Amino acid sequence: MMRSTLIEKLKPLNSSLDSLSYQFLQRCSVSGTAKGKGKIKAGQPLKRSKVTTKKGSASDSAQKEGPRRRSEFDEMVDQCLTATPPLRFLKPKEKAREAEREKMGLISKANEQAKLKLKKKKDEFASPFIMGTPGMDLISLGLVDADKIPKYELTVEDGRRLAKEYSRVLMRKHRARQAAESTLLRLKKEAIEALPEDLKAAALVPDLTPFPVNRFMATLTPPIEGYIEKINEAARKSAAKEKA
Amino acid sequence: MQGTTSYSKLGRPLLRAVRWFSTSASKSGSDEKLVASVLFERLPVVIPKIDPVVYAFQEFSFRWRQQYRREYPEAFLKKADARGKGDYQIDFIPAPRITEADNNNDKRSLQRALDRRLYLLLFGTAYGSKEPVWHFPEKVYESEQTLRKCAESALESVIGDLSHTYFVGNAPMGHMIVRPSNNDQVNPSLMRFFFKSQVIAANKFNVGRCEDYAWVTKDELLEYFPEQAEYLSKMIIS
Repeated sequence: MMRSTLIEKLKPLNSSLDSLSYQFLQRCSVSGTAKGKGKIKAGQPLKRSKVTTKKGSASDSAQKEGPRRRSEFDEMVDQCLTATPPLRFLKPKEKAREAEREKMGLISKANEQAKLKLKKKKDEFASPFIMGTPGMDLISLGLVDADKIPKYELTVEDGRRLAKEYSRVLMRKHRARQAAESTLLRLKKEAIEALPEDLKAAALVPDLTPFPVNRFMATLTPPIEGYIEKINEAARKSAAKEKA
Repeated sequence: MQGTTSYSKLGRPLLRAVRWFSTSASKSGSDEKLVASVLFERLPVVIPKIDPVVYAFQEFSFRWRQQYRREYPEAFLKKADARGKGDYQIDFIPAPRITEADNNNDKRSLQRALDRRLYLLLFGTAYGSKEPVWHFPEKVYESEQTLRKCAESALESVIGDLSHTYFVGNAPMGHMIVRPSNNDQVNPSLMRFFFKSQVIAANKFNVGRCEDYAWVTKDELLEYFPEQAEYLSKMIIS
């Protein structure tokens, strides 16, 4: 009982608020856009249609080149948009459904395309597989011995086995490194303790000077001598050519 | 958190060391000579080799993911190879990781084992021995302010200037006690403190004040010092 009277009291408040705030900017009840006179004049061409007519005129003017260029680019865009993976990812329910449909003789379009693709490219995924740009991948750079890589198939069990070995190797290395680092710390503390008093006090002062900024990180390939000079030379020469 | 746990573990040996020094505090000044020696290291230039098992798993996971990825047309993927206007001749053939210094086994060059750390060793007369012997750059502590300054002056006398070096911290990273052998030496026992310093942005050093010098990896270092090999292998990680 109390609630209904409250609501009745609130309602006129709301309406008054509405009228107050929205008086200054009326909104069209359908589209929610600003209502008013000068926004959209009747008879004036809408902005959208202007763009399309411009495009059409441009292509008319450069007729032979225009459609061909557009079609090459557009073809690439279409291929990108309709790109499919080599293996379709299907959940178990979907797989069962597709199998049943095949028994009945119906094959969906996507499945058909996938089958054709598989027939075309069989040995693309041969091991050792090149990951990354051809010149700079880890095998050709000598970081990995190609013959020592264990053989495996692309199955779930092999994947699990490989994952276990990977985790084992890395964890062993991690633990060894942690142990070595704690040994380092221990030796350092013992050395500090072995110092006479005044030197010990000096040694215990933390050295807060910032690290040198030009300390190099280890990179993938060693630095090539004379590379920077070659680049700068080439850039300077080409800049000179452009000016002259 | 880690600091407190390590202190609790080291509590007992530290107390022992402190007690030892409290009894022999008067002795230490006159008896033992302190020597500051420098472990001058060049950090690896190239990333280390990757374990084949690790690589196999990475390759497997990559191939597995590639199976379910969309195959975009080659023309689209080649767009990434486009070079900007200001970049001229930036394509390069990667330099080999095993340099000629590796093939020649030239111990004096810094280009040798690019994926490992190299440490400087000098061959000459060191404090505490008459004949020339392989040793780290070192200097006896006389009366400088701190031991690190003594180490810096030691390195400076060998290298020339310290512009391409970086001393890591004020504290030594290890110490070694060298007892005098019974027959010949008159010198008292030495306490050798090691200070760590790293090579910054330099390819070649003119090493003076010795007959010969070598940049060695950890394994070779252990060969040069057979009796202290165990301590050194704990002090130097890789």
